[in-house]
Amino acid sequence: MDNNMNTGNSASKKENKFVNALKTGWKWLRRMFLGASKELSEEDIFTVEKLESPGRMAVKAFFRRKLAVGALCVLIALFLFVFIGPFFFPIDLNYIDPLQANLAPNMSMRSVPSGLKNNVRTISGVSNFTVGVSSDSTLYIWGATKLAGTNIDLKDFDPAITEGNVYTASAGSDFVIAVTNDGRMVGWGNNSRGQFGRNELLNTDDPVILMPEKFMNEKIDPEKIDFLLCGYQCVAFIYDGELYMWGNTKACINMKEIMEHENEDGTVGYKNVSKVSLSNYYAVLLMDDGTIVAPGGFMDFMTAESSSGKKVEKILPYANSASLDVVDIAATNNSYGFLLSNGEVLICGDTNYGVAAFPTIAEGEKVISIASGTRHYVAKTDKNTVYAWGHNDVGQSNVKGISAGDIFPGAKQTYVVNEEGKLIKSVGTRGYVFGTDNLGRDTFSRIVHGGKMTMTIGAVAVIVSTIIAIIVGCVSGYFGGWVDMLLMRITEIFSAIPFLPFAMMLSYVIATKDISETMRIFIIMMILGLLSWTGLAHMIRAQVLAEREKEFVIAAQAMGIKEKRIAFRHILPNVISTILVSVTLDFAGCLLTESSLSYLGFGVQQPRPTWGNMLNGANNSIVIKFYWWQWLFPAIFLAIATISINIIGDTLRDVFDPKSSQEK
Amino acid sequence: MGKYIVKRILYIILVFFILSFLLFLIYNMLPVDKAAETAKEEVKASKGKLDYEVRYEYWQKKYGLNGTTVERYLRWIGLKPYDRIDENDNRSYFGRLNGLLEGNFGDSNYYGKPVSEVIKEPMKNTIFINIFATVLALGITIPLGIFCAVKRGSKRDVAVQVGTIVGYSLPTFIIAILFIWLFAVLLGWFPVNGMSTAGSGEWSAWRQFWDKMYYLALPLIVMTFCSLGGMTRYVRSSMIEALSMDCIRTARAKGLKEKVVIYSHAFRNALIPIITLVIGWFLGIFSGSLMIENIFALNGIGRTYFQALTNHDNEVVLALQMFYIFVSLAGNLITDIVYGFVDPRIRVNK
Repeated sequence: MDNNMNTGNSASKKENKFVNALKTGWKWLRRMFLGASKELSEEDIFTVEKLESPGRMAVKAFFRRKLAVGALCVLIALFLFVFIGPFFFPIDLNYIDPLQANLAPNMSMRSVPSGLKNNVRTISGVSNFTVGVSSDSTLYIWGATKLAGTNIDLKDFDPAITEGNVYTASAGSDFVIAVTNDGRMVGWGNNSRGQFGRNELLNTDDPVILMPEKFMNEKIDPEKIDFLLCGYQCVAFIYDGELYMWGNTKACINMKEIMEHENEDGTVGYKNVSKVSLSNYYAVLLMDDGTIVAPGGFMDFMTAESSSGKKVEKILPYANSASLDVVDIAATNNSYGFLLSNGEVLICGDTNYGVAAFPTIAEGEKVISIASGTRHYVAKTDKNTVYAWGHNDVGQSNVKGISAGDIFPGAKQTYVVNEEGKLIKSVGTRGYVFGTDNLGRDTFSRIVHGGKMTMTIGAVAVIVSTIIAIIVGCVSGYFGGWVDMLLMRITEIFSAIPFLPFAMMLSYVIATKDISETMRIFIIMMILGLLSWTGLAHMIRAQVLAEREKEFVIAAQAMGIKEKRIAFRHILPNVISTILVSVTLDFAGCLLTESSLSYLGFGVQQPRPTWGNMLNGANNSIVIKFYWWQWLFPAIFLAIATISINIIGDTLRDVFDPKSSQEK
Repeated sequence: MGKYIVKRILYIILVFFILSFLLFLIYNMLPVDKAAETAKEEVKASKGKLDYEVRYEYWQKKYGLNGTTVERYLRWIGLKPYDRIDENDNRSYFGRLNGLLEGNFGDSNYYGKPVSEVIKEPMKNTIFINIFATVLALGITIPLGIFCAVKRGSKRDVAVQVGTIVGYSLPTFIIAILFIWLFAVLLGWFPVNGMSTAGSGEWSAWRQFWDKMYYLALPLIVMTFCSLGGMTRYVRSSMIEALSMDCIRTARAKGLKEKVVIYSHAFRNALIPIITLVIGWFLGIFSGSLMIENIFALNGIGRTYFQALTNHDNEVVLALQMFYIFVSLAGNLITDIVYGFVDPRIRVNK
């Protein structure tokens, strides 16, 4: 019995202890975020009031203010965001993609409409939107369909397009071309470069080849359509074996050669073409006889990388040799891929982004078709397995090993469809949360990386200026006399320097020197630090002057403590509150100065982002009006950072100053 | 008082020379040799008839670029005469003082004109803009600051406090972009940038003035808004300090009207720090308006300075930098003197 009682008691005691610990923990947690509550436990009432140090009182007073605590939380979150974020959102500084430029925030670039999901006939896309035709002949479009800088929304189909009457469709960079079941070819979107139809406001800078009359007015026979592909402001259309191309001749440099090609029998244009691939610059033709033709001679001296591991000196003779037929072609923005009849894949052109890093094809399989997005290739083998390689920044190549009926690469997406036309997997970018800038770079990841840069520069500059200010302030305040005189004159010289113009000039001068970008950034930090210490030095000096006369200093001197030690060990801790307040406010100031400098183009240079130079493009009304996401988001982040820092600084000043707390 | 002023002026002159020397050193870091460039061109144009070394020496002497750095500095600032090529040559630019202090700011190699001519028109605009912005800003901030100090702790005061934190936390260019977006792009009330309507040169002077004001309205609003934050807080805090003085209690106890207490007794006391702030701030906004002029494409010295930097027009950069330093030093001097007048302790201390 007794034993039982004892064990029960000790158990409840343990429990009590645990509950108490939890309660205390909760209390402190609540105090930290919501301020102290008014309730006092009995214990608190009967205990003698402890003497609290001023520092501790200040901390308590700080945490009692909700605004300041909120600002602190925001600031910590922002710090974590910009210093940990870069690990999750890596950035390629040299990456640009004109096809993704100036996109508004949009996360629907991979959202295949439900009507299309189970019966895909074809899907195509080269830029920020994708077009699909279902097997019941209905057209679907998804993605960023509002064209940047215009009022065109590609969701507004041409009136000739109705449900169930679309034979095929292809998406270009800023337009769509579709052929209806009753044989009409229609296009919509931007046609300022002759992409379709006739436009009286044709842009005269770029010579165009207009769409042939017969496709505009006459009915065409859908059965005779071999191939339709839209690229960057140009169209390739194989009708009855003959190739027609139209659009911007600058977007497809060899278009003129193709259309003016003379056959041996005197006719003009290429015949017996089975497929065309368009990069951002050229068109490549696959002929019915299994040879490739590259009009304009751009490919004559290109070397190629083969999936068998060897390097091919000249691509055209190799691919066109009699023993091997070319069975499929594809082209990314800047490279061309060829599939030979023995399953060998050749890639020529610009092999950046790993487009020539072929995956190992499983034993006993042979590639039978290839296709491409803007920077990646996908291939299907005779066992219906999918392989993908190339750029994988948004996961567009993560389809390896899936068994598929067909693959449709979009620009930065890949759609895998099974034999019945059912969409089984889609990978790649969903879009851009904060849109893209004028070079097609993701604003969000640039904000993350830019924040890191801005914060680092601000922090280092503040540390530099604070260290100088502490040394100058303490020494001149404590020692006085000619040291004080000299240091204060130096301080005045520095404070007379007009900040922004001087920093601009220094940045201009170091720009003429041949130094690395990292060194430049380091120098900018130093410039900011060296030009902004004077105010704090004055303040510290004044405080030290006041502290110097107090008894504890006399006591310390009487004890024979060294002067240096008194200045930095005994007096400095008493001015720490001033320093802390000033450091906080100066940090905000340095963020602003850095971004102002970068905004003017004298700070950190592109392509390295900072919050300031991301706003650099925003000084014309077009950007301000149409591309609001390019300046609004960096501005919001900068504003949040500086406002919360200033609120914290202001609150610190209030809580350290006993006079101001009495007032309230 | 007189001794104090003289002391300050002498000191400021010393600082001016130190700073200008520093600036000259930085300027010399630029990889530009004007004499070599001119000499090379000349030799090239003469098709080898002229000797490069001789011509180089000639141009060096003409531009005052021969000798040590200190010599060159003294010539540039105008304290050492230029070297004569030979004793018989009496052309005006040899053997004379011809530097900054004599009013020679050099020649702009971008515009092909003397720098003083290049910056004349922008200077007028900048001064006009800055004076206007100052008047506007003071007209708003002082009443607002007083109001906040009197109604300290009220909801309206807190609202203004939060607003001013936002105001001084945002950099000028973000406020400018926001205002352009709101007032020029969305509402279309003001032009986005520029200084006058095309073809307004033939209009009457009165109409031209209003046209200019129409274009300057948005920049001025932005400048005023940017200065609201800091100034209002400053006026408020000095007014709070003044209101807690004993003399205010006495005045209230006497039964004076609250208005008289605030405006006649408290504000006068608060005015001392405000005046000094205003002077320093007015001179400080010359470099502050640099940003505004660039965003709104106003033809001021800030924009001239920016363009000179981008065009590698080094003489203009140097001249304007000297102007900025001059303005800043003048500001310091005036502030010191005014402090000396209003607060006798400062004179005694130094």
